[in-house]
Amino acid sequence: MELGPVARVWHQGVPEMNPIVALLIFPGGLFVLTLGLAYEWVDRKLLARAQNRVGPRWFQPLADVFKLLAKEEVIPNDVNPLLFVGLPIAALAGALTAALYVPIFGLAPAYSFEGDLIVTVYLLSLLTLCMGLAGANTLNRFALVGATRTLTQLFSYEAPFMLALLAPAFVAQTWQISAINSYASTHWLIVTQPIGFLVALIGLMGKLELPPFDAPEAETEIVAGAMTEYSGRGLALFRLGKGVEMVVGLTLVAAFYLGGIGGPLDFLLKTGALLIAIVIIQALMTRLRIEQTVGLWWRWGALLVLVQLLLYILWEVVTA
Amino acid sequence: MSAQELLASARALLDTFISEHNTPEEDRLDVWIAATNLPHAVRALHNAGWGYLSAVTGLDLGPEAGQMEALYHFCNGPAVLTLRVRLGRATPSVPTLCSIIPSAGFFERELSEMFGITVEGAPNTDHLYLPDDWPDGVYPLRKDFDPASLQISG
Amino acid sequence: MKQEPQKVITKKGERFIIPIGPQHPALKEPGHFEFAVDGETVTDATVRLGYVHRGIEKGVESRNWVQNLYMLERICGICSHTHAMTYCLGVEKLAAVEVPERAQVIRLIMAELERIHSHMLWLGVAAHEAGFDTLFMYTWRDRETVMDLLELLSGNRVNYSANLLGGVKFDISPEQADKIRQGLAFLAERNTHYLDVVMNDMLLLGRIRGVGVMTREQAEKLGAIGPTARASGVARDVRLDAPYGAYRTFKPKLILETAGDLEARFIVRLREIADSCRLINEALDNLPSGDLTVRMPRRIKEGETISRVEAPRGEAFYFIKSNGSDIPERIKVRTPTICNMGSVLALAKGHQLADMPMILVGIDPCFSCNDRMITLRRSDGEAETWSWGQLREYGIKAYQR
Repeated sequence: MELGPVARVWHQGVPEMNPIVALLIFPGGLFVLTLGLAYEWVDRKLLARAQNRVGPRWFQPLADVFKLLAKEEVIPNDVNPLLFVGLPIAALAGALTAALYVPIFGLAPAYSFEGDLIVTVYLLSLLTLCMGLAGANTLNRFALVGATRTLTQLFSYEAPFMLALLAPAFVAQTWQISAINSYASTHWLIVTQPIGFLVALIGLMGKLELPPFDAPEAETEIVAGAMTEYSGRGLALFRLGKGVEMVVGLTLVAAFYLGGIGGPLDFLLKTGALLIAIVIIQALMTRLRIEQTVGLWWRWGALLVLVQLLLYILWEVVTA
Repeated sequence: MSAQELLASARALLDTFISEHNTPEEDRLDVWIAATNLPHAVRALHNAGWGYLSAVTGLDLGPEAGQMEALYHFCNGPAVLTLRVRLGRATPSVPTLCSIIPSAGFFERELSEMFGITVEGAPNTDHLYLPDDWPDGVYPLRKDFDPASLQISG
Repeated sequence: MKQEPQKVITKKGERFIIPIGPQHPALKEPGHFEFAVDGETVTDATVRLGYVHRGIEKGVESRNWVQNLYMLERICGICSHTHAMTYCLGVEKLAAVEVPERAQVIRLIMAELERIHSHMLWLGVAAHEAGFDTLFMYTWRDRETVMDLLELLSGNRVNYSANLLGGVKFDISPEQADKIRQGLAFLAERNTHYLDVVMNDMLLLGRIRGVGVMTREQAEKLGAIGPTARASGVARDVRLDAPYGAYRTFKPKLILETAGDLEARFIVRLREIADSCRLINEALDNLPSGDLTVRMPRRIKEGETISRVEAPRGEAFYFIKSNGSDIPERIKVRTPTICNMGSVLALAKGHQLADMPMILVGIDPCFSCNDRMITLRRSDGEAETWSWGQLREYGIKAYQR
């Protein structure tokens, strides 16, 4: 397991942990879930303040999850019950697994190998895919339209987002997240690759279906989109998955573009700064129609990242 | 144009259809026409671009009088022209205006469900305001309608 | 009871229908719309109304002229003053009573304050439908200013009860006038800002420019009225066409846009807020002195009249018939929404599903205004008719608790 220089110093101070503890409690499992809820609260609270509202109290996301877990889960007629129950579990599992490959809380990733970047990105997409399938599984008309939109959106932001994460990998000449992290701690890639940073950040918002990319769950049109038929446990698991995905996504973007993540303070500061940026974008924007979203990503997002990659390759060729 | 001039032009347009007329207020003109002439009269107004159909009022003159009236109000600037159609209370019916004025459909549906006035040739005769399970033949805005008669159990 | 499985997976040729309403997050009031969609494109639209039908038109036929004033004011929570004023103007015309000038001007001030509050409410709702919640929250915060002014004058935020047959209930003192001026100055400043947002925010423009276009010909054919018509370049404003009350002295500006899209509807309404501010200030500066009421006869002379008032959403039309007694023979209420509803259905075809809530809200629909009936109240699955006395008793008991 390779560690960045700062992370290595910090990591030496942490006593060896039982792998089970590391997987289930800290820094994986429970800790990531809590972190996800905390970040969800920060997002909601800041957005509320930006919109001149009071916003929820600090324990609201947790209370929501407990409430949902305690409620009856209604399984509608004419759905495949196995899929209906299984998809939320798969979604949360995907997000939690992804958390094992990224430097959560500034710790070295629990697992690391050459190429784990690709695995992580696909694990992150698993959540969206599960939501889409969950929507398509039910016969609700809002859910069907929501599922179509979720999947359409997935195909539009996925490629640019992926490219935006690959650009740092190119520079660091490795496909391993921890290695890119240590490379980034000496190179602030936001300076050299500003376009990639923007695309990655906004791609993350698309992934999380935050405004202005909330067409898949636009309440004024299709109520709750793909999630319309979900109640109780399934909904709670999807929401937890979203929270974890937010933490993982922010960690990835911060590690790659904001000078790497070397310790807990580093982690909190950098992901916090990104979260604030995300909240500001959310507060300022009008929801995009689904075809506007697709157009934006393919016409601008993908193109810009490709241009940046080309520039980098040219630079390499010229300097070589 | 002043209301009087506007109303004079309307009267000229409708001249052949008018059976009776009245000017209750200086900016209003009421003309009585036969139900069969209604679409022709409205088409004449519509072709001349005279105002717009503002409302359709139903009037039940009561069981003793045995008559109803349908009032088509056209507004044009300050002037209000009302085409009035007298109908028998037993089988009241008016021709539809939907082919000339598409938005008349809403008014006609209201007229027929509230007063039991048949609108002949109407493209849509569903209830607009009343519930789908509203009893047939009960018209709430008729004078002899008694709300107490609607005691539905279960 | 076993239910038939829901059939929504459509075969070729069948239509996939997205229902909006009666209960739906996009609608603040119940109405039922069905949009047939092909992918994301709407191919057909139908509407079902009547979910808030309370039988007011029937109810007025068994209450006297004064009771009806309160009844009709409760048709709508947003333009309550409009309804009461339209009714009063009509009844006063029938009774041949001339209302004192000061009362007329106070009516105008209330009507214009109501227009400001209605348009600001609309702006917030429209922004919310577009998914721009920040604008929604800010406009509703600022709308509180005008709500406070209404409360300051009348003691109420919603049903101001400003009108009486033959005048108005309350006066406007110089101190109150100053407070109104201050509030309006703040609102006018905020309004300039919102106009700037609506005209320059690229993402919002992406959702409203060129969407739901209604040409002038269409608007005339569909009988559109109010701001919806004026956004399409149809010069229709009852305040100018057939001036009533104090509008004979204080003239509003005719605000016209020609584009006919949602953006034009935003701009027209925002400019109307600015003009209402100007009109109120003008009225406050020239408030005539004199009485607030004149005596009204209890029985109204036999006759028929038509009363038209420019409500915030367009022309409100009352047909009032008196048989010479203290109870009206017939009152027909035609509210603006029903005239504009046709345009929603006509415009829906060919648009994206995502535009539907916006187009629907573009006319500023008011279902309570639209539906007006009946005395059936359901309790425990049983439907029964309540008499006025029972209802009154129920109300008294409910308040005693």
